[in-house]
Amino acid sequence: MWKKCKRYTFLYGKYFSNHLKVMMEYKADFFIGLFSVMVQQFTALFFLKIVFDHIEVLKGWTFYEILFIYAIAFLGRSIHHIFFDNLWTLGWQYIRSGNFDRLLLRPVNPLFQIVAERVQQDGFGQLIIGGIVLTIASVNLEIEWTVQSLLLLFVFIISSGILFVAINLFFITFSFWMVDSLPIVVSVFQLSEFARYPLTIYPKAVTLIITWLIPYGFTAYYPATYFFEKESVVAMALITPVIAVISFIIAYWFWNKGIRAFTSTGS
Amino acid sequence: MRKYLELLKSQIKVETAYLAWYWADVVSTLLRLVIMYFFWVAVFQNRTEISSISFESMITYVVIAMMLENYVSGAGNEMARNIKNGDIALELLKPYDYLTKLIFMDLGSKANSFVRTTIPIFLVAIIFIGIQAPPSLEVAILFLASMLVGILIGTQIDLIIGVLAFWTVNVWGVRVLREAIVKFFSGALIPLTLFPGWFQEVSSYLPFQSMIFVPVAIYTGQIKMGPDALIAFATQLFWLALLFIVVRVVWTQAVKKVTVFGG
Repeated sequence: MWKKCKRYTFLYGKYFSNHLKVMMEYKADFFIGLFSVMVQQFTALFFLKIVFDHIEVLKGWTFYEILFIYAIAFLGRSIHHIFFDNLWTLGWQYIRSGNFDRLLLRPVNPLFQIVAERVQQDGFGQLIIGGIVLTIASVNLEIEWTVQSLLLLFVFIISSGILFVAINLFFITFSFWMVDSLPIVVSVFQLSEFARYPLTIYPKAVTLIITWLIPYGFTAYYPATYFFEKESVVAMALITPVIAVISFIIAYWFWNKGIRAFTSTGS
Repeated sequence: MRKYLELLKSQIKVETAYLAWYWADVVSTLLRLVIMYFFWVAVFQNRTEISSISFESMITYVVIAMMLENYVSGAGNEMARNIKNGDIALELLKPYDYLTKLIFMDLGSKANSFVRTTIPIFLVAIIFIGIQAPPSLEVAILFLASMLVGILIGTQIDLIIGVLAFWTVNVWGVRVLREAIVKFFSGALIPLTLFPGWFQEVSSYLPFQSMIFVPVAIYTGQIKMGPDALIAFATQLFWLALLFIVVRVVWTQAVKKVTVFGG
């Protein structure tokens, strides 16, 4: 187990340094991507600001509280965007083109190979904006950070990232049966937009779906409320990492099932 | 003209073939509709209007704007792809004007999703979330005309972005930037009249509000029928003409680059 870990870390380092070389080769593109993503995220915030210029609270939530929720979503998503972006391409870049068979021939976990084959530099823009927004929001909310709460915040953000990955992994796995399940992934991903706002603005049915069925609620809203000085469901915040791990296990189990189905057809 | 119409038709057929994408599109749009609806319900909690815009007229605005936003991009992707994989060299040899071809194929694809996605969703929105129908026939007609011009402006801007593929590898990044700027200045998310004064001032000198804000505001009556609406429409036509020329100029420059490479 230890040896395996070491080997995969070494491999990922190799892949990563190659990506780095490419990035440095195309510096302008790197900055275009970074800048574009930052502007993109900024528009979402600007929209919110305009709305809050005309109202004081949104169903009891203040501007900075919503900003804080946004920030956690940004950060979680940036992890997914930077390191796991290649999952989107499983159908058209691997299965349809037959590249997936190439991965299966190697003595390395195929999921690892897919993930490692791309580092999406543009995601760093999200990371930066997320960091800035988080700082602005927490200063204005006067959150008093302790080592413990910072640590918890870190765990929440990582969990949020894992959730994004797990959900995408689960739905892209359908590609093994239908060549490319990207349309499904895209529609499901749209659900994550719900999680940008406090879930209390939605009817019960919507809340239940994005809490227990496709748990995007845990990518931002539940963990964020932990830090607010209002009655929040602390338990829901604290189970975030558990939900993340369970989701990932389910997704990974399904992924392996997908691979078995794929190889047994003898294609 | 005939050959371009054939291209338009062929594009409709291609789009019809991708059923999965069609449903994905419908589902995503519906989800966005739901989010939007509840967001605005929450905003309007305890108040009947926001800077004299009622809930009904706000939701009408945002829903129509959202649907229009799907149409203000398009042709640039295809162009960028052709440039990246070198097909552009072959395209230039063919007996049609490449830019016109792109515009018509794009219109084909848009006509297709207009009939298959937008109209059904528009009906859903009228029935379930109570968006308003256009108040009169003149408004409806001017809205459709203005919408068409807005879409064509979007296509021209998209083509400029597409040409950039000659110079940058990160077409995705540039596209995201275009989307963000359009969202910002076009009034895709929220009526521009809610923006701070300075912002409205700036955006009145840019082509972006002609893409979404003008048609939608004509629809919801924020731009009154009569001289106001006609001036707005004329401005749209001006932008379309100007951008059309800009695209041609940029394109001619870019094509020279291809020939320099000795294609």
